[in-house]
Amino acid sequence: MITLYDYELSGNCYKLRLLMSMLGVDYKTVPIDFYPGREHKSEWFLKINPLGQLPVIDDDGLVLRDAQAILVYLASKYDPSGTWYPRDEAALLGEISQWLAFADGITGTASAARLHDALFYDFDVEAARVGAHRLFRILDEHLWFGEQEGRIWLCSAAHPTIADIACFPYIMLSEEGGIPRQDYPAIRRWCDRVKRLKGFMVMSGVFPAGPAKAA
Amino acid sequence: MLDTAKTRWHPIAASYDLPFRHVFHGQLLGREFAVWRADDGYINVWENRCLHRGVRLSIGINDGRELKCQYHGWRYSNRTAGCTYIPAHPADAPARTITNRTFAAVERYGLVWSAEEPQGEVPELPGFAEGELLTLRGIAVNAPADAVAARLRSYRFQPTGQIDGSDAKVTVEAANDFSVALRAVEGSSTTLAVFFVQPVDSNRSVIRGVLEGRAEGAVRMAVLHHHNDRLSKLRDVVEREAVARPAPAPLEPVIERVSPELAEMPEETKHGRKATIRVEVARKWQAADGIAGFELRPIRGLLPTFQPGAHIDVHMPNGLIRQYSITNGPGESESYVIGVKLEKESKGGSICMHETLRQGDVLAISEPRNNFPLRRDAVKTIFIAGGIGITPLIAMAQALHNQNLAFDLHYFAQNEAQLAFPEKTSGLGGALKPHLGLTPEATGAKLREILANYQPGRHLYLCGPGPMLEAARNVATEAGWPEAAVHFEYFKNTNKIDDSSSFEVALARSCVTLKVPAGRTILDVMREAGVDMPSSCEQGACGTCLATVIEGEPDHQDVYLNDAERKSGTKIMTCVSRAKSARLVLDL
Repeated sequence: MITLYDYELSGNCYKLRLLMSMLGVDYKTVPIDFYPGREHKSEWFLKINPLGQLPVIDDDGLVLRDAQAILVYLASKYDPSGTWYPRDEAALLGEISQWLAFADGITGTASAARLHDALFYDFDVEAARVGAHRLFRILDEHLWFGEQEGRIWLCSAAHPTIADIACFPYIMLSEEGGIPRQDYPAIRRWCDRVKRLKGFMVMSGVFPAGPAKAA
Repeated sequence: MLDTAKTRWHPIAASYDLPFRHVFHGQLLGREFAVWRADDGYINVWENRCLHRGVRLSIGINDGRELKCQYHGWRYSNRTAGCTYIPAHPADAPARTITNRTFAAVERYGLVWSAEEPQGEVPELPGFAEGELLTLRGIAVNAPADAVAARLRSYRFQPTGQIDGSDAKVTVEAANDFSVALRAVEGSSTTLAVFFVQPVDSNRSVIRGVLEGRAEGAVRMAVLHHHNDRLSKLRDVVEREAVARPAPAPLEPVIERVSPELAEMPEETKHGRKATIRVEVARKWQAADGIAGFELRPIRGLLPTFQPGAHIDVHMPNGLIRQYSITNGPGESESYVIGVKLEKESKGGSICMHETLRQGDVLAISEPRNNFPLRRDAVKTIFIAGGIGITPLIAMAQALHNQNLAFDLHYFAQNEAQLAFPEKTSGLGGALKPHLGLTPEATGAKLREILANYQPGRHLYLCGPGPMLEAARNVATEAGWPEAAVHFEYFKNTNKIDDSSSFEVALARSCVTLKVPAGRTILDVMREAGVDMPSSCEQGACGTCLATVIEGEPDHQDVYLNDAERKSGTKIMTCVSRAKSARLVLDL
């Protein structure tokens, strides 16, 4: 059984809950009082993750940290369809890694702005917002041209990958950091598509989409 | 200085921004829009604000027919933006004043155009044929629209036929504060490009470009990338310039609380039943054996919002007034579809509808009224229709079906040919359960079977001939259905009305006391005294002229109230019911 060291309001924890829900993987959570308790910096938690960051999973003794790394692990181990992280497709794996790194960029900007606004972190919020808008412009352009060519997910596959899951949460939560998505209509449409995936679940601040039109 | 005229058409989105089941977040001159395409193709441009708590509707759910707010689930209809359901008030029909503000929408050149108070037509682009053009990716720019348009005059690009070339000559063919037409020529290749600059706010814009001529495949992608790259560079330049200047204050649009048309009180009239809407019979057809279907389209403007269960008064050419239920599914707001059964003992109503009325005729109808509202919080809903009683229940069933809520529609009829509106019921799948050719005894047995095992959270809706309704209500009572869970609508009141009593009616709020003599109704007497009371069937069946009783004992003669409501003594149908006491005090 997988144990997820979890914080409800964390987008990085949410992306793991999301993928596990879509894969139908059972897991239990250990809630960590990230705010205001700062439990992720407590002595006992630092022994689990010396970086003092969430999320962390423990899968029968295998302890892993870093949301993107855990997505790779979960998809590799628990996705019988082999589509979320297709191990044998070199080009696609390269693309996925590229967008996983991009997701880290979103965490460093959009999530930072949200931590500033919602949890009172002492960050340069203007710099964080400018950085997020720069990334969102790049992503919106990528997704718009994808739609024109019939590619509806981040990577050039006919199905979603963990790259989509990795980028989704902090984009959806960006308004909580004062970063509107009004200027990124292709991102907004892609968000609808992610929400319509089987097994999709919400968190605080992430709303569901209605059903797609029957073909 | 940015021209903020509300009369000018501007693009607010591209067609590709409006896939089905999506809500686009638009903005023009500071005013935000929720823009969505319904499944019937209609483009809705609405104030981006739920009338309840002001939450943005652009985060709401487009279910193809209605837009649902994410916050408390208020639903608004395609076209009219009228509220159709409020989950916190499941038993009530929302007031007609709960209607969101709508704005014009025209789809042209691959763009969606709007304006707050549009004048004239969307700009004409000579030589641009629909379908023979290429709509570019919209480029959002953090700079005033006029500054962007000024910079666009020196935009340089390659004609589509020479996209890999490098020395096209570009000339300005036309330009104003919000658009620039440029022609690029290289060798024998020439392309006309028109760029519209949408003023999102005082300091924000979107460049929306359209090219003449179609391009396919790799060339198309190359052209799209070519312009995207160059327009992005132009954006960077304009944004750098804009940052160097002091930013203008954001525009502050006024949000109207309620439209003037909805805010005003209806005019007082003596005759009571108002037929304020003119419709054309767009289609008349045989909806089933003995049942005519009528599609009624507005002569101008939009029809008012309806909810499932609502009916309209139809004022016929022969002067008669009859009530018919609207059969439309949610969001089907272009026309009303009603079904009329030819009655053997017609007093002129159904005969007129069947024999006199023809396609193309104009009719006067009332606004829809809903005295048979549908709850949507039931664990399961049972509909029982007898014959033409299917009409309100079809509308209800379609609404529940659209929201994926559990229901069964039991449809009693003589034979298959009498099942009306198959094109509507066929979409309901296995929930439609026809019961054909049953004797009264067999009908009773079937009703007992359907209504057995009452479980809390179930609701029952009945509509059909009087005897069947009586039977079904009795069966439901025996099977343990509480009265509050049994909802019904009679076609007509077959009670013999006893109007021999005379009594006094005091209208508490109007501060008048009126005498109601034998042979006259409360409704009549009130109208004569200038008290405007809505009414519809005027025979005690529809529920429109309901009044609240403060004091006195009503003499109920209607078929609208259920037994609990009658016993409570707090409600009265003023068209037929009277007083057993010498005096009635009404909350009017």
